[in-house]
Amino acid sequence: MTAGTDAARSVSAQGQYAGSVSRFLGYAIDLAASSAVFALALAAISYVTKVVTGHEVSWNKGNAIVAVVFVAWEFAYFAYSWAASGRTFGMAVLGIRVVMADGAPVEPRRGVLRALVFPLSFLLCGLGFVGILVQRERRALHDLIAGTAVIYAWDARAARLRFLAR
Amino acid sequence: MVDDPRGPGVTILDHVDPLERLRSAGRRMTDPLETLAQGVAERVLDLIVNALDVNALVQRVDVNALVGRVDVNTLMRHVDVNALLDHVDVSALLGRADVNALLDRVDVGALLSRIDVNDLVGRVDLDTLVEQTDLGAIIAKSSGGAATEALDAARSQAVGLDQFIDRWAQRALRRKRPAPAGPPALLNGQAES
Repeated sequence: MTAGTDAARSVSAQGQYAGSVSRFLGYAIDLAASSAVFALALAAISYVTKVVTGHEVSWNKGNAIVAVVFVAWEFAYFAYSWAASGRTFGMAVLGIRVVMADGAPVEPRRGVLRALVFPLSFLLCGLGFVGILVQRERRALHDLIAGTAVIYAWDARAARLRFLAR
Repeated sequence: MVDDPRGPGVTILDHVDPLERLRSAGRRMTDPLETLAQGVAERVLDLIVNALDVNALVQRVDVNALVGRVDVNTLMRHVDVNALLDHVDVSALLGRADVNALLDRVDVGALLSRIDVNDLVGRVDLDTLVEQTDLGAIIAKSSGGAATEALDAARSQAVGLDQFIDRWAQRALRRKRPAPAGPPALLNGQAES
């Protein structure tokens, strides 16, 4: 399949419910990015602590405080991104966006609620995500609870212009 | 001597006008009188004009009522505008106009606010424009860097895989009615645009 055909197909998909691959890839990028930022922050804190106090500080996965802070950081990352703009960094890369079920821009409190109930989809052995495949509107469990949906929202018009310019 | 049947008096009157003397006397009398009357009339007119306050007279004239009685359309029908314009040296007229001063008096903001730019742009067929000009190449050069193209390609591949998986899921679920493509508000918005 040519790149031009790909661009034309994706243009027609703008505003439609996003599928499982785009959403999974977006989440994977988010997880990698947020974890990297968290690791950098821990390294920075360790370095500052060593410079100020002279003591070496090491973090391990079994540290409860680190785990709690990591969960809080992840919640803040997703909640702020969805509440502020309806998209996280990974979603922006994949060109997808969280909207209200009727297509309106997501309300901030719905964005926060989505981040709160997001772990539920994991806790039920990942069954919460099956909705993306079988639900008519491709809504996962956390989408159904928060009253949201995920759509393709990337700049398809610019892609079309590039496609025509080839 | 031949006898005239009309009588001797009538024959004399053929050669002599008895009223000629009276007329001559009358002319001598009327010519100076006419000159005198003309002089008197001129003098009187001078006195009247000098005594007349023209400004006060003009103030008493209702110019609006006067103009209101003029049928401008009828007047204009009698005017050959083309012939009039032939006499006008437009170049000389424009040479006398201070265009900068004129433009300074134009409120460009108010002018632009009266223009519906969205409607104007909406009339432009962008696809045709891009196909017929080098605008597409310019856009491709300005926004179509390697990173953007790679991102577009990755997104397009993801969309393709999404649709592939969705088709198989729909077959496995044996759905007869197709699922909605997207939220109603967004799909309606696309239809309008």
